[in-house]
Amino acid sequence: MVVSKILRKNAFMLGALLVLALLPIALRGNAHVLNILSACLIWGVVASAWDLSIGYASVWSFGHIAFFVIGGYTGAMTVMYLGIPPEAAIPLGGVAAAVIGILIALPCLRLHGIYIAMVTFGVHLVLSTFILRWRDYTFGATGLSGFERIQLGQYVFSSSVPFFSYYVIFGVSVLLLFIIYRVINSTIGLAFVGLRDSEPFAKSLGINEYKYKLIVFGISAFIAGLMGALYTSFYGTVSPFMLEVSTFLMVLIMLMLGGLGRFPGAVIGAFVITVLSEALRPLVLWRFVILGAIVITVMIAMPQGLMALPQTIKSFARRVTQRKQIKKDSIKTSSI
Amino acid sequence: MAAEQAVNLVIVGITLGAVYAVMALGLSFIYGITKIFNYAHGAFFTWGAYFAWMLSSGYLHLPYPAVVVITVVIMFFFGFGYEKAFMYPLRRFAGWDITAIIVTLGSALLFDNLALALFGTRAKRMPYLVEGNFVVGGFTITRHEVVTLIIGLAIMVLLILFLGKVRQGMAMKGVAQDQTGARIVGIPINKIFSYTFAIAAALAGVSAILLAPKILVYPTVGWVVFIKAFVVMVFGGVGSIKGTAIAAFILAMVEAFVTFYLGGIWGTPIFILVLIIMLTIRPKGLFGTW
Repeated sequence: MVVSKILRKNAFMLGALLVLALLPIALRGNAHVLNILSACLIWGVVASAWDLSIGYASVWSFGHIAFFVIGGYTGAMTVMYLGIPPEAAIPLGGVAAAVIGILIALPCLRLHGIYIAMVTFGVHLVLSTFILRWRDYTFGATGLSGFERIQLGQYVFSSSVPFFSYYVIFGVSVLLLFIIYRVINSTIGLAFVGLRDSEPFAKSLGINEYKYKLIVFGISAFIAGLMGALYTSFYGTVSPFMLEVSTFLMVLIMLMLGGLGRFPGAVIGAFVITVLSEALRPLVLWRFVILGAIVITVMIAMPQGLMALPQTIKSFARRVTQRKQIKKDSIKTSSI
Repeated sequence: MAAEQAVNLVIVGITLGAVYAVMALGLSFIYGITKIFNYAHGAFFTWGAYFAWMLSSGYLHLPYPAVVVITVVIMFFFGFGYEKAFMYPLRRFAGWDITAIIVTLGSALLFDNLALALFGTRAKRMPYLVEGNFVVGGFTITRHEVVTLIIGLAIMVLLILFLGKVRQGMAMKGVAQDQTGARIVGIPINKIFSYTFAIAAALAGVSAILLAPKILVYPTVGWVVFIKAFVVMVFGGVGSIKGTAIAAFILAMVEAFVTFYLGGIWGTPIFILVLIIMLTIRPKGLFGTW
C-alpha cells in the first residue's frame, strides 16, 4: 500500500532513474555518450547542491564552483602528497570544501542578497590567485595530473573506462541527490524556505537565521567539494582553468534553466545544458555566445524555468482561451 | 628616493581612483535606482574599450576627441538598447529581480564571448589620450594621468548637479527611493530605467577610454575592473557620489602600494579582503544612503 503510494508519487523520478540505470546497457558502452552522461550527472548534483543554497535558502552564494575546485584540489593533493587512498580522498574533498564554506559563511551571516553573492564570488576570483601563487604544490596554471585513481579489481575509475565509471558516478550522484531531496523535505529545508519567503516571520517563530545559513553553506559546499573530487578523479586532472567565468556561468545557467527551488529541475537543466554545450562544440568560440543568447531568451520567455513548463503552458493556454472567450462575448454583445 | 617613489605611487593611485570612481558610479547608479545588480557591467567596459580601440588605433584612426564623443554616444545607446531588449521584457512577471540577475550574467557571457569570437584573445594596444609629460618639481606626471583626473572629477560634479538640479535626475532619485511611490506621482519608470542603464553604460565607456591605454584591451578585461568597481561601490555606500569618490581614491591608493610592494597579482585579493572586512563591520558602506 505504502510502496505503491511512494511509487505513484515519485513516478517521474523513479522512471528517470531506471532510464539512467539501463541506458549504458542500451548504448553498449558507447564511450563518448557515456562520458557526456557522466558529466551531466556530475553537474546535475553540483547544480542541485547550489539550488539548495540559492533556490531554497535564498542565500546567493556564488562560491560553489570555488568549493568544487577546492574539493578537486584537496582530492588530488591528499592522494599525491599524503598517500591517502583515492576512495578516501573524495569525501575528504567534500570535508575541505565544507570547512572553507563555513569559514566563508561567517562574514556572510549579516549580509543579504547581492552582497553575499559578491563576497562569495570574490572568493572564487581570489582562489585562482592562490592556486597560481602556491605553485610548488599546485603546479600553477598547468594543474595537477597523474595521481592515483580508484581501482576495483581490474576496473579503474577514469574517463577511459566509461562503463564502470558511469556506474560509480551514477551511484554517488543518486546517493547525493537523495540526500539533497531528504534535506529539502526535512525541517532544515522547511526552515530554509521559511527564511526565504518571510524572514521576519520565520525569525519570530524561533528559527535561527545564522545557524541555518551556516548549515546551508556547509551542506552545499560539502556536496560541491565531493563532486569536485570525484570529477578530478574521473578526468585525472585539475587546474585553475575550472575557475573560468564561463564554467561558473554554465552551472548557474543549468540551475536557472531547470528552475530555482524546484528540486529535480537543476538536474534536468544540467542535462539540457551539458548536451547542448556538447552539441555546440564544433562552433568553438561562438558556442558561449549562443548559450548566452539561449539563456536570455529562456529567462525572458519562461522565467520560472523548465520545471514550471507545464504551469507556464497551462496559464498561457488559459490566457488564450480567455481572450477567445472575451472576443466571442464581445461579438455576441455587439450583435445584440 | 623612497619619497619620490611614494609620490609616484600616490599619483598612480589618484588617477586609478578617478577611473574606478567613474566605473563604480555607473554600477551604483544602476543598482541604486533600478535595484538590478548589473553583472554585465564588466562587459560594458570591455565593449566600450573595443569601440574606442576600433575608432582609434584599430581601424579608423580618428582624432581622440572624436573617439571619446563617438564611444560615449555608442555606449549610451548600447545601454539604452540593453535595457529595452533584455531588462524591460522581464518586468512582465513577478520576481523579475531574480531573473534579472541571471539575464545580466547571461549577457555577460554573451558579450564577453562575442568579443572573444570577433577580436580574438590577442590583447589590443590603445594610444594615450594625450602624449607627453609634465615635469613638476622633479616629478614627472604623464598628461594622460592629468586628463584622466580632470575627466573623472568633471563627471562626478556633473552627476551631482544632474541628480540635484535637473528634473530627470531628481526623478531618478525618486525612483531610487521608492518605485511604487514614484509610479504613483507619475514618474515614467520604464523610461527612467532605460536612461539609467544608458548613462551607466556611457560611464563605463568613459572609464574604458581612460583605463584601456594602460592595461590593454582583451575580452575579459571588464571583469577585473568590474570587481574593483563593485568593492568601491560597497565601500563608499550605494547611492552616495561623494562616498564612491572617496572610496575609489582610498582603494586605488591601496592597490597602487600593494601592487608595488607585493606584486600585481595581489591587487584583486586585497580588494576582496577590504570588501569582506567592510561588509562585516559596516555593510552600508562609508556614506550609504539608498
